[in-house]
Amino acid sequence: MRRLISISILLLAVLLVLPGVLSAVGGGYWFRVTTTIGVFSILTMSANLITGTTGLMSLGHAGFYGIGAYTTALLATKLHWPFFLTLPVAGVVTAVFGILLALPTMRLIGIYFAVATLGLGEIIHVTLLNWVDFTRGPMGISAIPGISLDGLFSASDITNYYAVAIIALLAALVLGRLTHSYYGNALRAVREDDQCAASMGLNVVGLKIQSFAFACFFAGVAGGLWAHTTGYISPGDFRFSESILILAMMVVGGLGSIPGAVLGAVILLGLPEVLRPIGDYRMIVVGAVMFFSILFLPRGLLGETSVLSVVRRQFGLAWDRTLNLGWRQ
Amino acid sequence: MMRFKQCKTLLTTVCLVALSCGASAQNKTVAIGYQAPLSGENAQYGTVFRNSATLAVDEFNKSGRLPGVTIQLKFEDSKSDAKEGVNIARKFSDDASIVGVIGDFNSTVSMAAGQVYAQTKVPQLSQTASHPDYVKISEYQFRNINTQAYEGPLIAKWAFDSGAKKVAVIAIQNDWGQSAAGNFVQGFKALGGTVTETEFFNPGTRDFRSILTKIARSQPDAIFVGAFYEDGSAFLQQKVQMGLKQPVFATSSLYEKKLLELAGPAANGVYLTSTFVVESTEPHVAAFVKNYEARYNGKPQQFAAQAYDATNIMLNAIVAAGGANATRAKVRDALAATKDFPGVTGTTSFDPATREPIKLLSKLQVQDGKFVSVK
Repeated sequence: MRRLISISILLLAVLLVLPGVLSAVGGGYWFRVTTTIGVFSILTMSANLITGTTGLMSLGHAGFYGIGAYTTALLATKLHWPFFLTLPVAGVVTAVFGILLALPTMRLIGIYFAVATLGLGEIIHVTLLNWVDFTRGPMGISAIPGISLDGLFSASDITNYYAVAIIALLAALVLGRLTHSYYGNALRAVREDDQCAASMGLNVVGLKIQSFAFACFFAGVAGGLWAHTTGYISPGDFRFSESILILAMMVVGGLGSIPGAVLGAVILLGLPEVLRPIGDYRMIVVGAVMFFSILFLPRGLLGETSVLSVVRRQFGLAWDRTLNLGWRQ
Repeated sequence: MMRFKQCKTLLTTVCLVALSCGASAQNKTVAIGYQAPLSGENAQYGTVFRNSATLAVDEFNKSGRLPGVTIQLKFEDSKSDAKEGVNIARKFSDDASIVGVIGDFNSTVSMAAGQVYAQTKVPQLSQTASHPDYVKISEYQFRNINTQAYEGPLIAKWAFDSGAKKVAVIAIQNDWGQSAAGNFVQGFKALGGTVTETEFFNPGTRDFRSILTKIARSQPDAIFVGAFYEDGSAFLQQKVQMGLKQPVFATSSLYEKKLLELAGPAANGVYLTSTFVVESTEPHVAAFVKNYEARYNGKPQQFAAQAYDATNIMLNAIVAAGGANATRAKVRDALAATKDFPGVTGTTSFDPATREPIKLLSKLQVQDGKFVSVK
């Protein structure tokens, strides 16, 4: 019963109260900021499945976000597919890429895995940048149609908001069910000690690949939403710095927590906008918030595990001489 | 008696209110939004834009060209990030006092923000966006920079006339570099020259030795460089170290004092174009250089001049659109009608059909660590 109440409160807040308040405040600007926060909430929630729950430090999430965005943009501009087709296809394409690219890195652990995913992210970014004939390279893709359905609704701030909000809610539901289940416990076991998990009969590599596929699916959908709601994308939107931003959102919000991931996105995207009046100093304040949150709240605001313990475990292994240089046999 | 006194007080109040209303109508504020990277990796450009725009608006407000109207500049920092650029575009669109927007710096952010301005019908004038599709977004987009479609063929002809029949082309891998290389190659081939090699380097590259080896092997008569000063200076230095003797032709993007500092003697001999020449003796250019230097302790460079002109073009458009009564639609029409604007980056007109700017280019060469005008 309490669960039902809290879910209805959440739905009411996201689907009625928030858009109501935003319309009352007057307009496009706050709708736009909320839409961006929504897209990054999906990204952070999905990255959270890899890093927070399964315990793999991924530094290439922006690359998968980019694959989703480009898939959507190309399908929508070249083949004129509507959004209800482009978004799921973008998710599936990204998940397939995620599996293919993750396969060779699955035997890596710790810092080596982190560096390998960093490389993956860069490979995707450089491919988007240099494959000029297909992706239009640095020119980017413009005039991507917005989210609209003939006769029902047309592209507008409110349509964008609802599209992102509903998909974010769905992502939260699916990822929440995944993490809060026996399956999620298996993923957590991999995070805490993968050798121990393997000895208990869990298919560690299989679990890692599955979590990668789920996460990449939602990263791809988030990319598609970004393409549809912005109308223009270029490789610059999917640089390494975006991966770091996603990681920072997870860390501030709390590793392994879905509300934490959303909260991280709200803080790291909302704060710079709220602080615009103080001009040049706003990024210093944002940096200070990140610094103090990691200093005083090592678990993040709502985290279930401490970032430092994950990092220590991950990176500590790399320096352990008794192990074979980051390879797990 | 009491009643009469009360009436008088009332009357005075009404008069005062009416007067103050009249005064506020007399002193109206019209705002220009300016979005630029004031922090982040392109902050050096954003800061220069802010300096120039502030200078232009302060001069305008002092000049009294619009009596009773104060022009206000509203700056927002986009960090060269499309996410922030789009947010700002929304913010400016919501702000009813803003009749026109200048910015952003790079094409990615200008293009993304442009999608918003096209929807909300706010005139947007970028001082630097050179993406070929930028002004095609909608009739609300303008720019104050020559596109490579104009500059490329001009440099190609210059190189061809100076005796180079075979050139190697190297350019930065972004939208600007793509169109710089593309237009130069097209122009050079049209003249009957051959292009031995076309190479793109990713932004942030500092080691050009492999590209230089490839270029040397193709034995060109000259090299065309489409780059900015950070990469351009590294390229020039390594070219000298590798012993390549071919002359270098470059776009106006290399017209930057930092190039001379970073490349040192390796910059000598480079041919380049520019719309703005800081040593110019034309009175309005000299006055701008003097005022800028007095206020910000440093000579303005090309980008500073471009932003100064962009701001003045916008101010002119606001005057033409009726000053205090200017609306976004009227400012757009006034911008589109810009003709023979006497800017510090040359006389500027916007093509009535395409809205592309037309500016004259000066030819320069680096000699003894200085930019010198050449024929």
